[in-house]
Amino acid sequence: MTELYPLTPSGPSRRSTLRAAGGGALLLGLGLAGCRSAVSDTSSAPQGASAEPRRGGVLNVAVNADFTPALLFAQSGQSLQQRLIYNTLTRYDDRLHPKPELATSWTYAKDGRSITLRLRDDVTFHNGRKFTADDVIFAVKNLQNPLRAAQLRSTAATVTGFEKRGDHELVLKLAHPVNNLFDLFEFMIIADRESVEDAVAGKKFIGTGPFQLKKWSPGSGLSLIRNDAYWQPGRPYLDGVELRVIAQADALISSLRSGQSQLTFDAPGKSLGAVKSDARLTISDYDTGAGAVYLGVNTTVAPLNDRTVRQALAWAVDRDRLVAQTLGGYGLASAAPWPKSSPAYSEANRTHYTHDPAKARELLKSAGHSRLEFPMLHIALPGETAIAESIQYDLKQVGVHVTLQPTDGATAQKKLISQGMPALWSLGHGFAQVQPSTLAVSAYPFNEAKNTSKFRSAAYTKVVREAWTEPETDTAAANALHQKISRILLDEAFLIDLVVRGQLQVSAAGLHGVTLNKFSYLNLDNAYLV
Amino acid sequence: MRSYLLRRLPSALLVLVAASFVIFTILRLVPGDPATALAGPDADAATVAAIRERLGLDAPLLSQYAHWIGSLLKGDLGPSYAIGGQTADLIGDGLGATTELTVAALLFVIVLGTAFGVLGATSRSRWLTGAVRVVTTAALAVPPFVSGVLLVLVFAVALPVLPPGGRVAFLTAPDLAAQYLVLPALCLALPSAAVLGRYLKDGIERGLAEDYIRTATAAGIPPRRLLWRHTLPNALPPVVTLLGMQVGNLLGGAVLVEAIFAWPGLGQLAEQGLQRRDYPVVQDLLLLLVAVFVLVQLLTDLVYAWLDPRIRWE
Repeated sequence: MTELYPLTPSGPSRRSTLRAAGGGALLLGLGLAGCRSAVSDTSSAPQGASAEPRRGGVLNVAVNADFTPALLFAQSGQSLQQRLIYNTLTRYDDRLHPKPELATSWTYAKDGRSITLRLRDDVTFHNGRKFTADDVIFAVKNLQNPLRAAQLRSTAATVTGFEKRGDHELVLKLAHPVNNLFDLFEFMIIADRESVEDAVAGKKFIGTGPFQLKKWSPGSGLSLIRNDAYWQPGRPYLDGVELRVIAQADALISSLRSGQSQLTFDAPGKSLGAVKSDARLTISDYDTGAGAVYLGVNTTVAPLNDRTVRQALAWAVDRDRLVAQTLGGYGLASAAPWPKSSPAYSEANRTHYTHDPAKARELLKSAGHSRLEFPMLHIALPGETAIAESIQYDLKQVGVHVTLQPTDGATAQKKLISQGMPALWSLGHGFAQVQPSTLAVSAYPFNEAKNTSKFRSAAYTKVVREAWTEPETDTAAANALHQKISRILLDEAFLIDLVVRGQLQVSAAGLHGVTLNKFSYLNLDNAYLV
Repeated sequence: MRSYLLRRLPSALLVLVAASFVIFTILRLVPGDPATALAGPDADAATVAAIRERLGLDAPLLSQYAHWIGSLLKGDLGPSYAIGGQTADLIGDGLGATTELTVAALLFVIVLGTAFGVLGATSRSRWLTGAVRVVTTAALAVPPFVSGVLLVLVFAVALPVLPPGGRVAFLTAPDLAAQYLVLPALCLALPSAAVLGRYLKDGIERGLAEDYIRTATAAGIPPRRLLWRHTLPNALPPVVTLLGMQVGNLLGGAVLVEAIFAWPGLGQLAEQGLQRRDYPVVQDLLLLLVAVFVLVQLLTDLVYAWLDPRIRWE
């Protein structure tokens, strides 16, 4: 064994250690003082404490995923940039009444088979080209192209003819009346038709919106700068917007708490404990109902082909506990897919199924079952896993034993649209936030013709078609059809809705004027930082 | 040497071809495909079919493989299916970011590892050696996903002096870029710095027990000169070997650290590519890694052959 030499040379003395540490700190301090701070640089609000709208400043938005150019014309996981770079023809107010954007006014034909649109004549694209009716014609045809994967393609496909009346008036001729045309106008971004292929390839994004693209760094985010020639005078207030991808939830929350970002819609409700106590941040829950948590049922797997068994599952799940424990208290426990802002919403439908394990057991018993076993697919992400485990626990209490099948998003998506799901699955759906008929014709899980649950019903098809082609949306007849759809969804329980979720916005207290449209397109026309 | 190179080259090429085939096959065996991932959860069959045709996924697998290899040979990595942009640009940007992070972490490893080693071996202050022991043990025991979150909480949230994540390119704004780099590089470097520090400490302690140090001390050479001129240089060779091995660990660890600090490097790119079934990105990225490995092996063999002529004649 080697014995250490007893007279070891002295290491750095305490004095020299302190001197070195002090020198290092001084160097670091001088270095940091001599250059800009990355922290203060990121929260670049204009000077002044006034709450009045002010020009200037760059808004940093934290997002958990980058956008996908190939899905530019579809509803994808990240749609915030849509209304920043582009405009839509109209926008809905909170009661689903369309308001002008690029279309200033419109007139429906009495038979509901055409609509005349009058368009703004003072709009130019970011490349200086004038916006005309041809751009609207292109936009509609573009969405009819299956390659664009647009969820509202079926509605776009009802437009079978175009009649131009000058550059700023256009008649859209419809194959049959539809009542969700304004969903299409809210959804359909108007892109420069000459560079649309470059846009889906991620090379060039030219619209008429309040901001124009400065740089897109795939995987990192988007840099947008103010469009000085925007058609709304004096807008936008902001000089620019940075969309920064921060995939990890903790890092995303940290970026808000440190002031690096001033806005996000991607913070999980369950992670907002620290944010609630931070006076510099504000949490707003938008009642867009743009997403819902549901339990899907494969109606061809016995005994789930028995409606009574499906109804038993609907009674078994404790929706309130799901909201409180796994969603951080954000969301609306609901047996129906509709948010409160939907014309199809009713309190009776929302509470059609509540947590009643005794009733669930009774229904199972009446169907001849005391113990059942099913696989249940879910996406292997923390939030989705927590939801699946919560459902698994509730179903076990009534004798339905579920084996979880965690899977990745791409596989789940393939199984979803190829009818390859196991007996049960828990996922989310959208499209209940607009006209009720859109849900049944554009959201695949609810599609009357072909859906993941393999549920077919002549009555469902009939009522969906009637609701879709009913020209008016606010009439008693339309409401009666909405209720019929709800009743079929609730009675048949091929999709068991659990929670309707809004958009959870976390923003810096000094940020004002942020809005979202029904498809979660971020609107910063009137946003400003103080 | 040339004939040796010519003998070694075919096996290297064979490894690359075999790797390309395995990568291509395994990706196709993974459930889910780019067309359905791109089509979204509400797509109908016509949409999926149209996307499949556009991406060329309706062609026979052998034809797809031949197309991929043919494009690679022409130097065209093609467009990304889902992430967007050109695959070559994505990999180039990711490589730059990961290299930047790894180099910065390596610098931290060298500085911190040397400090840990020297202080641990030579300090006569019990609290200082104790502190070094605690820090190195903690750095080794705490995984990056915990130390990363702690670093963010302390330096970005409690004392908001550094950004919690993201990246600014060095050429754009070096002062900001350095600040963005500190936390991820430190998080990545800590375990390797602890390992390096412990090796260095042992090396220095062994060196200090050598007879020549005793003689030099007796001859009146100042202790500091003994440490820096005689002991430390002799302790360095095994540590330098270890440092080389740690570079591999840093590159591997970068994948996790990139996720914590939203650092847009190769790790994040690979994760995104896999999640979205972006075949071109994942295929090209994996093949690039295999190619780098094969090239390093080839160079190592050539250096051995150059150093030892017997190998050339085997």
